[in-house]
Amino acid sequence: MSMNVPKLLIAGAVALTAGVATAQPLPVPIPLPTPPPDGTPPPTDGTPPPTDGTPTDAPPPVDQPPPPVDQPPPLGAPPPIESITEVPASEPPPPPIDLPELLLAPSGAMLPAGVIYSRSGVDTSGGLSSDMRFGLGDVAEFGVAVTDLIRGREASGLTPRRLAPFYTATFRMGLAEDRLFRHQPALALGFRKSFEYEADNHRARIAELHLAASGHVGTRTTVHLNGSFWDASVETGDEGAVLLHDQGLGRQFRVGGGVAVRAVEDADILIDYAWMPEFCFTCSAPNRTRLRPILSWGVRYDLASWAQLQSGVRVPDIGDANLLDAQIFGQLTLINRSIERVVDRQRRR
Amino acid sequence: MRSALYLSLAVSLGGPGAIRVAHADDQAPAPLRQRRATAAEIFAGPFRSPRLFAMPVADVVGAYQLSLSGDASLLQEPGILTAAGVAAIGFGDVAQIEYRHTSAVGIGDIEAPIPAVGVQLQAPFRERPWVPAVAIAFRLGVPRRETIADQPVDESVTDLYLVTRLRLRGPLTGVTLHTGARVSSAKIVRPGLDAAGTAKRLMVLPTFGLDLAASDSARAIAEIGLAPQFRFDPAVDAAPQVDYGLLGRVGVRWAALPAVVLDASIGYQLEVARGQPADGLESFVQWDIRVGGEVFVPWGAIACRLTGGFCESRE
Repeated sequence: MSMNVPKLLIAGAVALTAGVATAQPLPVPIPLPTPPPDGTPPPTDGTPPPTDGTPTDAPPPVDQPPPPVDQPPPLGAPPPIESITEVPASEPPPPPIDLPELLLAPSGAMLPAGVIYSRSGVDTSGGLSSDMRFGLGDVAEFGVAVTDLIRGREASGLTPRRLAPFYTATFRMGLAEDRLFRHQPALALGFRKSFEYEADNHRARIAELHLAASGHVGTRTTVHLNGSFWDASVETGDEGAVLLHDQGLGRQFRVGGGVAVRAVEDADILIDYAWMPEFCFTCSAPNRTRLRPILSWGVRYDLASWAQLQSGVRVPDIGDANLLDAQIFGQLTLINRSIERVVDRQRRR
Repeated sequence: MRSALYLSLAVSLGGPGAIRVAHADDQAPAPLRQRRATAAEIFAGPFRSPRLFAMPVADVVGAYQLSLSGDASLLQEPGILTAAGVAAIGFGDVAQIEYRHTSAVGIGDIEAPIPAVGVQLQAPFRERPWVPAVAIAFRLGVPRRETIADQPVDESVTDLYLVTRLRLRGPLTGVTLHTGARVSSAKIVRPGLDAAGTAKRLMVLPTFGLDLAASDSARAIAEIGLAPQFRFDPAVDAAPQVDYGLLGRVGVRWAALPAVVLDASIGYQLEVARGQPADGLESFVQWDIRVGGEVFVPWGAIACRLTGGFCESRE
């Protein structure tokens, strides 16, 4: 039995995405209140209209005791909404989740325990990307991803081409905001490492260790900042590996971050600045791997509590002020909290 | 690097003050072995794990219980999925016998699985404040064959562990320290060659672990220790060597349910695929991400519920 890991990951991504979609709860129908026979418009606050002809805004008689709470409604009165829908007493909805990444840059937020997060994207250059993560105990998360943002070129003068699919795994652990003290930002220490990419007699691997912090400023703005140490290994033919960390810390360390502003009730405006390695397979050792900045901006729209849509513009060559290679991208984020609910329910028993 | 260590410490210390210990306590009762026990009662635990990530601890799987655990590394060897599994069965709350099964699954081929057996004994002393628990573990290694530059080599390691576990108290409740020494007999042999193709070494390897309650169901764990490191690069030296290597791991174990534990970690360790030593801590590209899980099966309680056998005598 042989195991093709890339195919396994793709199949897993498709299966998980389908699972997330099918696992979402169906909407609960809430019927509109039935208007009374006299044509009086029903009140908008959900209270049943009076049935004895009393104007809606008239004060109740002072000398009459209030009716008992459990008194059945008089004949002809519309039944209360609860008795029609028979919605069982349900748990309060869980609070919204702070996502572990903006558009590209990592955030300091950590997925809650048992939450499955998946993000799939496509861009105008034909790239496909996917990212799946799983929250572990509110303090860590593990994930696998395929990215289309890593590029390589044969020689320094040639146009870089996409190295895809480039598979990575991620492990992050961190602290929630305000956990240690008030105004402490959410902190995450993350490590990402790739499978070995092999094509055209080249082999390449990347790794990234990042420390990310995220904090809310006011009620609508979240600021994200991260510092990343990068490493990479590039081999061509039978020559030994050329390692980025041999070139010194100055070539490994980069600062990134971004801002998210809740512009309207269900949409955020995002700007982020991230870094990605780019390989030059025949360049000298110091130039074999270079870190390139990527500027992205766009909008994140809440389709539902379990689905978000991101779209925007990404400029992979912002370091060279090259806007011609800018890409327009779309991303779909799905969040499945089924396991979280099951675990919580089991714990309460 | 320092920021990484500081954050790991902060994650760990952020928990103990407000969070109860997630895992079982020594004085806690075992899963119910009663005929009328419900499934929820049977699987409510508590269960004790006999390990951190790779390091054994001074606990054994409880009596009438079975622990099945496995983990996999997507990245330990480039392009290869390596996996390992352990089945351990407890005897009388003081001993366990374990069976290990390691395999390396390549994208195009499979290497032979590597079985190994071990036994672990816990000193049967009642737990007292500030007195460490002690256990001893023996793991009999079976040769594992690797092929490096078309040259096969057989590697084996037989270990004797002495480990202690100390639960801290007071303001540090929730913090557990683990220390140990590993006596390893490591051997690497090039089949078909004489003594020049063999290297053998007896090594004493210290290990240290830290285990902290990070949330009501998760523990942050760090372990570090020396380990035997096999070195063989035919292009440099035809003779294999056994040397000291460093192995460190930081991660989280999350008890999603009392009987189901998931873990994930990052680690610095030897890159064995090419028989070359790792370059150092700053070489992130040689770090590893590992994910795994452990399932506890209270077989005694299940058998009692189904057949009436193995039930507690007081019922």
